[in-house]
Amino acid sequence: MITLEKPHSLIANFETIEGVLSLFGPASLLEWRRSNFARFEAVGIPTTRDEEFKYLSLRVLSESQYQPAYGATIYREDLDAHSVCGLDAYTLAFINGQFAPELSNIAGLPDSVIVADFEEAFEVHSEEMSRLGSIATLEGKLGSTNDERFVWLNSSYLSEGAFVSVPAGVVVEKPIHLLFLNDAGHGAFASHPRIFVQVGENAQVKLIETHLAVRDDPYFANAVVEISVSENAILEHTKVQLEGSNAIHIANTYVHQRSNSTYTSNLATFGGSVTRSEINAFVDGEHTETWLNGAYLGKGEQVHDNHTRIDHAKPNCHSFEVYKGILDDSSIGVFNGKIFVYEDAQKTDAKQTNQALLLSPTATINTKPQLEIFADDVKCTHGATIGQLREDALFYLRARGIPGAEARALLVYAFAAAAFERISIEPLRNLLESMLRARMK
Amino acid sequence: MGVPMLEIRNLCARIEEKEILNGVNLTVNAGEVHAIMGPNGSGKSTLASILAGRSDYEVTAGSVKYCGQDLLEMDPEVRAAEGLFLAFQYPVEIPGVSNTYFLRAAVNAIRKHRGEPEMDPFKFMKFIRLKMEQLQLDDKLLSRSVNEGFSGGEKKRNEIFQMAVLEPKMCVLDETDSGLDIDALRVVADGVNSLRSPERGFLVITHYQRLLDYIVPDFVHVLVGGKIVQSGGKELALELEAKGYSWIEEQVAASR
Repeated sequence: MITLEKPHSLIANFETIEGVLSLFGPASLLEWRRSNFARFEAVGIPTTRDEEFKYLSLRVLSESQYQPAYGATIYREDLDAHSVCGLDAYTLAFINGQFAPELSNIAGLPDSVIVADFEEAFEVHSEEMSRLGSIATLEGKLGSTNDERFVWLNSSYLSEGAFVSVPAGVVVEKPIHLLFLNDAGHGAFASHPRIFVQVGENAQVKLIETHLAVRDDPYFANAVVEISVSENAILEHTKVQLEGSNAIHIANTYVHQRSNSTYTSNLATFGGSVTRSEINAFVDGEHTETWLNGAYLGKGEQVHDNHTRIDHAKPNCHSFEVYKGILDDSSIGVFNGKIFVYEDAQKTDAKQTNQALLLSPTATINTKPQLEIFADDVKCTHGATIGQLREDALFYLRARGIPGAEARALLVYAFAAAAFERISIEPLRNLLESMLRARMK
Repeated sequence: MGVPMLEIRNLCARIEEKEILNGVNLTVNAGEVHAIMGPNGSGKSTLASILAGRSDYEVTAGSVKYCGQDLLEMDPEVRAAEGLFLAFQYPVEIPGVSNTYFLRAAVNAIRKHRGEPEMDPFKFMKFIRLKMEQLQLDDKLLSRSVNEGFSGGEKKRNEIFQMAVLEPKMCVLDETDSGLDIDALRVVADGVNSLRSPERGFLVITHYQRLLDYIVPDFVHVLVGGKIVQSGGKELALELEAKGYSWIEEQVAASR
């Protein structure tokens, strides 16, 4: 018997909106979207039988229908409740994936620095934009289970996004904030936000990436971030994930680093029902530093999957990675940390730590450090620990008058704080700290 | 004299299946310093833990009243907020929580319980620096994590420092002298003595008489087999020091 299944809306929608998408960006994008779509269509939504999704069930995604992202109105006052929106920064805002100039403000941005939505970027900075997609790929890189389907899916539906370019030698003092707001009040949608960042030689910039929902209706956000960090450049990238409690959030971040550069990723994962973060750093130059820090907090039935990957392709580079998971109720955490040290990458120093705190007997963590080393003179360490809140520490705090809930929050914060240590934007670090405390109560 | 500060009546407790306290009776009034001495395993630390509210022990009989209220009904944080303080035998290391933050959280939690406003950070720092000086604690310890990497002596001094900051009504010191050299012992004792007042009660638990040379008690009790078998003045401590515990253990055995 042959059963004909109705294609999933992520596939069916493509034909419907391709015409609309084709009006956006240069004609060459049309073919690009199509070829990416063909690759996604061939593999579809992964199941737990796919190696890279072994511990992440995307059944909710498979079983839900999503319409193409639609416009919504969010007023500035609606954002007052979300203090992260009030950070002092050059802000570019998007609602359901569409550019929201009314909530954006880049006044005072140094002239040479570009912070633009894709519509403007394709028009004014077409040469740079022609390199879109060149970083977000694992083609030709090590690894036998590389899985890029969500990048292909994002590229299939490419429309709006944020383009940031900091020219050589420029130090941007104030952070740049890319704010992706979601309001799924008119039905579940799929949006595919895209960010493209270029940091020129000797340039320095701090980037904040926030994903936030103003209500709890279901939707699917599938983000791709591409970052190029040139020689001697420094980029501090902090992502705050505050998606709605019924949202699926999948994000693929690709970083390409040149010699003597420093890339720091700080990731705070709070929101969403099922979330997946993949951060892939390709180190393509000597004497670099790569910091991947993350804290994720699971409550209820949340599932947070963190995949990180560092490709040490050149010698004399350092990478430091600290991921901290806090899992309460029946939440599930996944950590997979890959480090590839290429044959030429002698004197690589890579340190990976991932720790999980299980606050409830029904919380789960699946953790897998994965080091593949093809050079012989390297220092690579990894450590994974799983534990509970220490009863003796809790009692000590309570015996000094600190109420149980506050004492727990304090200990959990202390555990997670190491992951936020390298956020140099103090108001942001304080904000994440208070969010963590508030969520622990 | 009014309501006693601490009134322990026939307190019996066990951990798992093991009976540890077998009917402890003890009354501490405001202004008094009581010492409890006893051999290892006599139940001294169990008594301290039960008073502070550790949940590992099951109270099977008896009562404890604190300023007339049922102490055993209170959560540990309520006991602390009501002015009961335990100086731990083994202070706990808490990585990632700075001493200052911890103390401020404790002071403000207690103030909140009493319906007082939070202490402003500037005043607070001034207040604790003064207390640190008294206990000869390096103020670098303030920014370090609670007890993390502290020496044994620093940990014990930190306990007394916390006691000085929190200004409790009833202080329970659980073998605060263990692991201290003579200089540290003197500093700790000076800290305790400076807190002695007509409004405050002390219960000093120790294995050795040595501490009581510095913190001179009004009453000494001997705990053997989970029961107070003898009580007296400070001279009882000297007698124990001279004769050891076996003397009293034999007496107890003979009277059974």
